[in-house]
Amino acid sequence: MAQDIEAEHSLLARLHRGFMPIEDFANLAAAAAIMLLMVLGVLQIVLRTVFNTPITGYIDLVELSMASMAFLGAAYTQRLGAHIRMELLVGRLSGRALWAIEAVGAALAMFIIAVLIYHSFGHFLRAYTLGDTTIDAEFQTWPSKLLVPIAFTIWWVRLALQFVGALRLAIFPDATPIAVVVAKDVAEQAQDEIHEVMGDDGDLQGPEGTS
Amino acid sequence: MIIGIGMSDPFLVGVITLFLLLGLILIGVRVVFAAAIVGLLGLVELRGWGPAAGIVGTIPHAKSSTYALSVLPMFIFIGFLAFHAGMTQQLFDAARKWLGWMPGGLAVATVFATAGFAAVSGASTATAAVFSRVAIPEMLKYGYDRRMAAGVVASAGTLATLIPPSAILVIYAIIVEQSVGKLLLAGFLPGIFSAVVYAGIIVVWAMAKPGSAPSVTGFTWGERMRTLPGISPIILVVIIIMTSIYGGWATPTEAGALGAFVVFVLALIRGTPVKSIKNSLMESAKLTVMIFSLIWGVLVFVRFLGFSGIPGAFTEWIVGLDMAPMTIMICILLGYAVLGMFMDAIGMLLLTLPVVYPAVIALGFDPIWFGIIAVKMAEICLITPPIGLNCFVVNGVRPDIPLGQVFRGVALFFIADVITIAALLMFPEIVTWLPNFDFEAWWSGLWAATS
Repeated sequence: MAQDIEAEHSLLARLHRGFMPIEDFANLAAAAAIMLLMVLGVLQIVLRTVFNTPITGYIDLVELSMASMAFLGAAYTQRLGAHIRMELLVGRLSGRALWAIEAVGAALAMFIIAVLIYHSFGHFLRAYTLGDTTIDAEFQTWPSKLLVPIAFTIWWVRLALQFVGALRLAIFPDATPIAVVVAKDVAEQAQDEIHEVMGDDGDLQGPEGTS
Repeated sequence: MIIGIGMSDPFLVGVITLFLLLGLILIGVRVVFAAAIVGLLGLVELRGWGPAAGIVGTIPHAKSSTYALSVLPMFIFIGFLAFHAGMTQQLFDAARKWLGWMPGGLAVATVFATAGFAAVSGASTATAAVFSRVAIPEMLKYGYDRRMAAGVVASAGTLATLIPPSAILVIYAIIVEQSVGKLLLAGFLPGIFSAVVYAGIIVVWAMAKPGSAPSVTGFTWGERMRTLPGISPIILVVIIIMTSIYGGWATPTEAGALGAFVVFVLALIRGTPVKSIKNSLMESAKLTVMIFSLIWGVLVFVRFLGFSGIPGAFTEWIVGLDMAPMTIMICILLGYAVLGMFMDAIGMLLLTLPVVYPAVIALGFDPIWFGIIAVKMAEICLITPPIGLNCFVVNGVRPDIPLGQVFRGVALFFIADVITIAALLMFPEIVTWLPNFDFEAWWSGLWAATS
């Protein structure tokens, strides 16, 4: 029995660690998009006011690029437990009850994200087959729409890992937490805020559970 | 009314889903999932699975790819970059030299340095964290009361959400479909007003207890002037954002991009390590996705709410109440104060506005004014027990100041905030004057007068 737990332990832990670079990369892509948005904005001002030749389809371009910033970091943010929620109850629970509730939460999240993956893919497919373009500059919209199911799939995998992690702890409350977000009280949240601002390279030892 | 057990009555479905939403949020389901699930289930009940899921599937992309929202990542990025570029130290140094002579001078300087930092940052807790490190040691060195030192940092952090660029005001503007520019402008004067009330209360307190908050004197005008170059990027960012909104020479996104670029170049000049810049980008991406998820999640729910007729019914009920609108407004604000004790300000506003906002407008209140008041209310909760995140942040940076002392120090500023809220209720012009000010007419009038 103990070995079974041990085996599952290592598999889950390996999946957890193995998946992290993908999430990090997706968030890095979102970060790059923010950087590009800045450069694009400055270019637009300079080109328009100094050379009187604004970038063609600037607004369309910005709108299409929003998808990368709005979705790609979702799984990364999920891993760090930064999507907001009310911690009033979960902050007080511990042991089996806590992990059972966390598992329920993750299962619900997996359900809605699965629905959204399926139907946002449909949204993309329609745009792709119809050759949908933006009104002004007539850019293709499908690449932007495709980002939603891609980002949500990464998100779903992270949620699934958290679900398994929480379920495992609900069954074996004394096991080492893996692939779950450890609920924090206010003091610990405050520490996170401080850490966030004061920097350090401690990003990866953050609140994402130990492995 | 409850004939439709088959669940075809939109209103009944609406009420049931509202309770479901409340339940999910209480057990700690993340707000984006709770709102989206409940919105989906409600739509399925009213429209059937196919159409409902189809509608819901388009919402994330459709609602996120709007130009107005693109200002958010820019504002967020400016804030994170400014921290990493070390602007806070210089701001505090400047404020200390210019304002130190006042009674309680270092505390007053902290308030205005924070207000200045708020002009590049829109995040309250982060501002409190940074100033705990910069200002508290200085105040303690001069023998300031520990409670005062901790209280002023925790409270002044809340100024960040009113003074532009403020992420939360942009979100409010988009949810209630008001002009982003107007809301950003509207926050400016109340933010300054809050700072002045804070400073006033510090001066009064310092004069009553002379030993516990001494003034710092002996700076020459030359020393004061030499602090100005250090804070000039912040002044530049303020000028860029304010003039672009007024003069219309750039959209808020472009102004945000230019502001970020100014801070970015400055960070490079100061030798900020590339790693720090990358970190601030990663943090910006994280915060951006968090806010966008919240927005589309809540908008799924809002789509359903529209079908259910709940906002209309709530408005009708509120308007039918036999009470003065101001009494109702105060009740709504008290409700926000209680809710804010347990919930993040952005989440709280996003979830409640779809129902509360139409009622507030039907009562005849100004939409811009209500946004500022609601945000100020939510911010007060950052310094009140039991959650009071800003107080925990100060205590976290300075473990030598016990939490109890921080909360006691904050009490003084809580009084100041109550004064501010009362003033905003009595004189809505503090909020509405600047956004409605006709700059062009004034400018051409001035032009005509001189020539």
